[in-house]
Amino acid sequence: MKAGGGRMKATRVFQITALALVAVSAVQVGWWLFDQHAYTVEKVRAARSTYTEQVSAAQALLDSGTSAARVQQLLPGVVVSGGRAALAPALAQALTTEERRRTNQYAWEGSFFLLALAVCIAVIARALRAEARVLEEQDSFLALVSHQFKTPLASLQLSLETLALRTPPPEMARTLIDRMLADLARMELMVTQILESARLERGRVELKTEPLELAGAVARVVAQLEERALKEHVHISSDLSPGLYVATDSLALDVVVRNVLENALAAVRGTGGGNVSLSARAVNGEVELSVRDSGIGFAPADGVRLFQKFTRLPGGASHYGSGLGLFIVHRLMELARGRVSAHSEGLGRGASFVLTWPAAAPEPRP
Amino acid sequence: MSSAVAAAREVLVVEDDPHLAAGVMENLRAEGYAVAIAGDGERALEWLKQHTCALIVLDVMLPGIDGLAVCRSLRSQGDNTPVLFLTARGDPEDRVRGLESGGDDYLAKPFHLEEFLSRVRAILRRWDWYRSAAAAAALLRFGDNEVDFRTFRARAWSGETQELTEKEAMILKVLAEHAGEIVSREDLLERVWGYDVFPSTRTVDNFILRLRKRFERDPANPRHFLTVWGVGYRFLTEGEA
Repeated sequence: MKAGGGRMKATRVFQITALALVAVSAVQVGWWLFDQHAYTVEKVRAARSTYTEQVSAAQALLDSGTSAARVQQLLPGVVVSGGRAALAPALAQALTTEERRRTNQYAWEGSFFLLALAVCIAVIARALRAEARVLEEQDSFLALVSHQFKTPLASLQLSLETLALRTPPPEMARTLIDRMLADLARMELMVTQILESARLERGRVELKTEPLELAGAVARVVAQLEERALKEHVHISSDLSPGLYVATDSLALDVVVRNVLENALAAVRGTGGGNVSLSARAVNGEVELSVRDSGIGFAPADGVRLFQKFTRLPGGASHYGSGLGLFIVHRLMELARGRVSAHSEGLGRGASFVLTWPAAAPEPRP
Repeated sequence: MSSAVAAAREVLVVEDDPHLAAGVMENLRAEGYAVAIAGDGERALEWLKQHTCALIVLDVMLPGIDGLAVCRSLRSQGDNTPVLFLTARGDPEDRVRGLESGGDDYLAKPFHLEEFLSRVRAILRRWDWYRSAAAAAALLRFGDNEVDFRTFRARAWSGETQELTEKEAMILKVLAEHAGEIVSREDLLERVWGYDVFPSTRTVDNFILRLRKRFERDPANPRHFLTVWGVGYRFLTEGEA
């Protein structure tokens, strides 16, 4: 945490310094352009006044009787016609052309540099903003996570202090101990989910896709949860025919199925007990796994919100988890080129979650 | 009244976490209270339509309508049952928000069992004081105002009927018991809220402003609720000449 913060700070200092340098450069380029332009204007003005003086001098010489040829020899920039001196047209033209050429040069070069600097400023400012957003998200993430932890922690402390204060009879003590173990399990699951979601969000997860037999993978997860489910009066029934293969990562498959099942168990637990049933089928080159529960359900309109972080729905059982379980499922299914969707007829009417993966041919046996 | 006192006082626990709800319930029962549990705000409000209780222990972060909204809804219906908030957020702004929504006390999770129980006792004790004080002197007349402490109802000098909140009534009761004397802000806090629940005594000032608005002919130049600079307040039933 500390190291991350330090790194973040160093990057920020670098970015702000770069931003300051670029901004100073932009101001300097602007000043340089202004200066050059003023210099050119001054030069042209000086040249024009020199030429005007030459023309006046030529006219004075002509008026004092000097021959036109002699005048033109002395002042080559002046032409004489009909006793009047004037600036040679080629010279006047050259002066105008030079002035215009320089002005154009400044305009093009200047705008190019200024544009390049503006792009730099935009890029750095964007990075700074993005970083501020990340920091803000981290803050609210931490606030939410600590909030999620406080409830099981409070329950744990209450149970322990009850034991200490009241010396309850053995069966009551047993209840308190079971409650504390369940609170610890909740906190452990939350830690796992927080780590998983942090890895997923940083894109540090590489999935290794391989053909996996769905029924076997699901059976392993069910076996892990079954005992606890029975204690909580939840009956898990699984009707998965063997031979359905999905193309996904084995660890991701395990995490996804476990999180969806944990969610279903929490939903059913909220109603005091019931059923969770699993079924699977192959459709159009894909394999669907349905997890149906008789739990508390949700308003049909909330089917999408469920998969966002820390969503708490009315009547929901999300206090059991970190608020990250279904978010993890959604991200992992995306990464595995699969999908997940949730359906419910409404509060108190159960829910079903459908996980869909690309189908895979069974792994050829060597 | 006497039968209600003889029966176990009932506490409604509104908490969506079943473990915490069960733990709180068992401990309150062990202390001799009767306990009802509601898992969310809707169910709590539903229960309270048909029952009364001595105290509500109310979780702030509830699914659906949150605890603050539940408390505000109760107060707006004129239900003055004391509320002890339980919450996972313990920063000062959240405490103030909880108390300004009409709560009596505020405890951050995780909490110590004995502290929880002592706060429950303290809220009920303050409530008992108020009820017996209200029974002893139910009516207060000052200026052309008349306050009935039992019904929390008042008739202001303008003839308007005023519904007092529990805290307003308690503050008025404390001031009336010490009419003519100086009562410090700290005393008011101690008598009405009981704990160091507020980050500042300014909240007391807000309540006094509300009382002035209700009962003073010219709230900017009060004749009954006088500020004693740097100390607190003095309440005069006759009005300052």
